[in-house]
Amino acid sequence: MKRLFVLAAIILAAAITTAQAGSLVTLLAQAAAEAPPAAPAAVPEARSGEAAPAAPVAKPAETAPAAAEPKPVPVAKPAAPDAPKTAAPRSAPKQDHNAFADMSLKECGSCHKGEGIALNHDADWVRGHRLLSVRPDKNCVSCHQQSFCLDCHKGGGIDVNLKTNIVGAGTSPGSHRTDFREIHPLKALDNPQSCYRCHAAKYCSDCHAKFRGEDLKVLSHRKGWSNLQTANPGPAHSTFTTAQCQTCHPGGLLPTHTWSSDHGREARRNLQACQSCHSDGQICQTCHSARTGLRINPHPRNWDKVKESYKKKSNGRSCAKCHDNY
Amino acid sequence: MSQPRRVLIALCLLLAGLWVAQTATALEVKGRSSTQYSWYNDIVDGSKQAQLAEYLSFTLNGIDSANKLSVQGYGRAAYALKEPADGSSKFDDRLYYLYADYKGFADTVDMRIGRQFVNLSAGSSLVDGVQADFNNLGLVGVTLMGGRDIQFGEKGTLSSHSYAAGMALYLVGLKKTDLDLSYYRAYDYSDVARDMVGMNFRQFLLDSVKLYANTRYDLTAQVFSEVLGGVKYFPMMELMLTAEYFESYPTFDTTSIFSVFAVDKYKEGVLKADYAALAWLDVSAGLIKEQYGKDGDATVYEIGLRVRPSHSFTVGVFYDARSGYGGDLNGIKTYAEYSDLRRLKLAAGIDYDVYQRDTMTGDEIARKYWAATRYNFTKQMSATLRVEDNVNANYSKDMKGRATFDYEF
Repeated sequence: MKRLFVLAAIILAAAITTAQAGSLVTLLAQAAAEAPPAAPAAVPEARSGEAAPAAPVAKPAETAPAAAEPKPVPVAKPAAPDAPKTAAPRSAPKQDHNAFADMSLKECGSCHKGEGIALNHDADWVRGHRLLSVRPDKNCVSCHQQSFCLDCHKGGGIDVNLKTNIVGAGTSPGSHRTDFREIHPLKALDNPQSCYRCHAAKYCSDCHAKFRGEDLKVLSHRKGWSNLQTANPGPAHSTFTTAQCQTCHPGGLLPTHTWSSDHGREARRNLQACQSCHSDGQICQTCHSARTGLRINPHPRNWDKVKESYKKKSNGRSCAKCHDNY
Repeated sequence: MSQPRRVLIALCLLLAGLWVAQTATALEVKGRSSTQYSWYNDIVDGSKQAQLAEYLSFTLNGIDSANKLSVQGYGRAAYALKEPADGSSKFDDRLYYLYADYKGFADTVDMRIGRQFVNLSAGSSLVDGVQADFNNLGLVGVTLMGGRDIQFGEKGTLSSHSYAAGMALYLVGLKKTDLDLSYYRAYDYSDVARDMVGMNFRQFLLDSVKLYANTRYDLTAQVFSEVLGGVKYFPMMELMLTAEYFESYPTFDTTSIFSVFAVDKYKEGVLKADYAALAWLDVSAGLIKEQYGKDGDATVYEIGLRVRPSHSFTVGVFYDARSGYGGDLNGIKTYAEYSDLRRLKLAAGIDYDVYQRDTMTGDEIARKYWAATRYNFTKQMSATLRVEDNVNANYSKDMKGRATFDYEF
């Protein structure tokens, strides 16, 4: 936690140091005079007859492009409104862009060229847009309504266009190519956090529950267990029968010949994948409970430091799943 | 009366009310209606299914004389024309958002009340609640939010016992600098499921450099669950070079058993280039190195090309290749799009993926072929038809389609 505040303080200091002196001085003067910041530069009137940018309804925008797509090239976009063609003063604060909503992205350069403000919506926009959208004073709303966000993030579909994928009765963003059910285990590995930006964990487990477990098995659940030696040297597990499991693994370990020694490594690398099928984690408790099985401690290294925090915040709900006394 | 029917009736009443209000007052109503018929094969048993759905989004302005108040809404009601294979209800409804937006309360506060999407650097939620932006305080702005957390499952809303609250402090008025610190807490019943601090930073330098950073710190696990830092260099408007580092340490709701398990950090290094070489040509390329812990590495290459030989014709080709931990994937996505003065639009494309999930399976191939057209009857009215076929390890044929009629008012 301290590191976070130190990091924030450093960044804040750097930001203030490197920010335009004029703008900072102006703002400080304004703050001292208890005056609001300077009004943004004049925004041209929206053209009549087009989708009203001032109170934008969801305009027929394209869905987010797939990863690696270059920025969208406009197709027969209308001419830019009478936008100021000269660069705004460098000390000017951000202005809203409502009146520019119908401009093509390439036309943004007519104002921003030479200003030192990078154009966004570049080829990396699918990954990069998160950083701009979390800004409290973001100006996404100048061109997009929340429906534009939720069509991808919450499974909406009012703005379907020709490239919008069909998934069952719904839609999916452009990054979900082919039949995404086929390749999503691989795609989900490319930053496992990214799935949860749109999907609740239950979304995964609800869908996986519709299929036989055998059909969804991944590497750690496939063969390999049978080759594992009981000792080194020692007989392989394949030489034993299922009925003999309890001899060495009392308490219900290894109910079938389908587990492998790899599961721990796999789980640490992508625990979200475990949760997507074993949503209640009961299968994990077979071995990792303090009550039964091998009682293997699954906790992270800093557990002693954080366990009280978990206990207090969850009111012991997670603790009670494996411990009688906690 | 079932909830879907109540929603449908509520929507009808709302529309009728809006129409009456608009004709009687200066109320300005803008929005979009999209009526969609889709047909597909059920994911579970492969049976043919069809669904009729109505999407509606609207904005109300002119409610007050100062035009400070507006109302925004977006929802969907859907009806399966055949019995779903999983035995679920034929009705499905989602209210994505419905909020009143009041700007400039006491010249300081912008306030939203109702269901809305809230996005802070520490966390995001769709909430039934309030967001207030205090944005006329000088150098710093403040955002407060809170409400019932809404999550959608495959069918309807998942929970009504989750709540979220948060706040953000951010610098305002600096054209080339963004910085915010935020706090986000989520409740599962009365228990604290998430307790996060977030930070987001952006700085333009030397007229050609953008530095950015973003992080989330989990107060319960006492770890940085996400750290991202990057630099973009743009010596000219047409060229963007990106170098980025990202790492994550997955954390879970404290009420989930998975929150107490040890996990490994995921790390990622990214190099990307995006070049609008000519007015009719955009190219991009990227390299991503991924690390999942000891001996768990993967590499991803990406190449994109978009050619626009005329104002009415566009071709795009995008390729990526992944190899390493978890499996290999080589995929190409291509499309061609033709537009005739915005009246008629035609498009078609092919997605082609060759993948191997692990060494115990061979190569598998997934293909998608699709074609679509849109016709604009007027500026307000258009119709769209899309048909696609998926061929992969599970389907030798998986035809599905969607026909829509859109109306903007």
